[in-house]
Amino acid sequence: MPELIPATTVPVMRCAKCGALDPGPRALCKACHGALQAETVSGVGELISWTMIRRPPTAFREDGQYAVAVVRLDAGVQVTGRLENATEDMTPGRRVRAKGRLRDTTVFEIA
Amino acid sequence: MRDVMITGIGSTAFGRHEGRTVQGLAVEAANTAIERAGIDREEIGALYLGNFVAGPLSGQEVLAGMVGDELGLAGIPCTKVEGACASGGIAFRHAVMAVRAGFCDAAVVVGTEKMTHASGAAVTQALNCAMDNQSDGPSGLTFPGLFGLAWRVYAGRYGLTRDEVSSVIIKNKRNGLKNPLAQMGAELTADVIRQSLPIADPLQLYDCCPVSDGAAALVVVAADRTRAGSDLPIRVRATAQASGPARISGHEDLCSYKTTRIAAGRAFAEARVAAGDIDVAELHDCFSMAEIIHSEDLGLAPRGQGAKWAAEGRTMVGGDVAINASGGLLSKGHPVGATGVGQIYEVVQQLRGQHANQVPGARLGLTQNVGGAGVACTVSILERADA
Repeated sequence: MPELIPATTVPVMRCAKCGALDPGPRALCKACHGALQAETVSGVGELISWTMIRRPPTAFREDGQYAVAVVRLDAGVQVTGRLENATEDMTPGRRVRAKGRLRDTTVFEIA
Repeated sequence: MRDVMITGIGSTAFGRHEGRTVQGLAVEAANTAIERAGIDREEIGALYLGNFVAGPLSGQEVLAGMVGDELGLAGIPCTKVEGACASGGIAFRHAVMAVRAGFCDAAVVVGTEKMTHASGAAVTQALNCAMDNQSDGPSGLTFPGLFGLAWRVYAGRYGLTRDEVSSVIIKNKRNGLKNPLAQMGAELTADVIRQSLPIADPLQLYDCCPVSDGAAALVVVAADRTRAGSDLPIRVRATAQASGPARISGHEDLCSYKTTRIAAGRAFAEARVAAGDIDVAELHDCFSMAEIIHSEDLGLAPRGQGAKWAAEGRTMVGGDVAINASGGLLSKGHPVGATGVGQIYEVVQQLRGQHANQVPGARLGLTQNVGGAGVACTVSILERADA
């Protein structure tokens, strides 16, 4: 399993024309079709949902079981990532923060 | 624009077809459909084939032309369409459009898939091509995981128990017992489901449809060209298709597919009927949770009530609306490119009054076929038109 590269921000994209955020990667803004440019935003947000993947696909088998989460960042964009220290009794709405990057995804933890 | 009827239908069983090819299954189903339609092959002006994973799993593309050639439909335009698990529904819509617009008087639709010969890892990798693999893919999300995410949101918002979700599985597996084409009908209990392997929490093994081989086919004909003496023609009242984001971040709500809502709105408007008029519906229950969400997006059950309706028996044969009387994907099976055509095959049987798990008096039927994480959806409405 590749190493986690510590990071408290999340790479996203912002429209050069209207300023709307997009999780990317993507060329054109969903709102106004302007060009999107890479930037990073704070990795703090709200947990929308999560699921523990018990049967990982071959490409991720070395990771063992892992939780995938959907997070609504306070910056105003929704992203998919991993979630560490997920527990069974959690409920959606918990505060989470970015802990780092694993391959091309963000790893979050309960704040 | 012309009225379009489904005349001939054909289908292999869904399940394991050892030693068969993906194109061989398609030829078998389509040849049956053509023979049942009682049509001369020269009258068929187009073929549309739905398939999703023959490339990665069988190393075979150009299926449409190969199947047309074997069927003796030399020279006509044969087109493969791909929209992940909605490939079959999209193929059907394109055939109906060709006939409706007058480009031809009759067209063949066939959906086909061969999956069981491949390893589980290869199947998962092929199916994951239906995801946005730059956006969601790197997180390690899987399709069961998608509905695990939806389950938690739904439970938080409306309340949802394991046993309510299991009632969808119990119903569909029981329906499958009556369908001779079904891969895995079963009499299940909530206990057995609760003890099955965890897959993507809270989803367990029985929440997931099986891996399947199979093909289904239809002949669609301009209403004024149908022949007396053939099987009862069934009228196509609407075929709608919509597209949406392939990635989760594009979903405003994990418990509702905008793609379904758009396609349903178009289909009901085109057919000039309401959800409450539908007698029998085949929905895209790739996972138990999916049927609950789809039944609400289509308006067959009230928002937040899909699971309760299933638990109260309101979606079984004899209930308010029969959902997946065939057994659905959970029980009949899910040969991905064939599924959408198979759904229409089932509803045609219902409207003819010839289904092995017949909904009494069914006159109006609906099918809903979804691709990827809602990147494509087709909704079709069919009617028994002899009265």
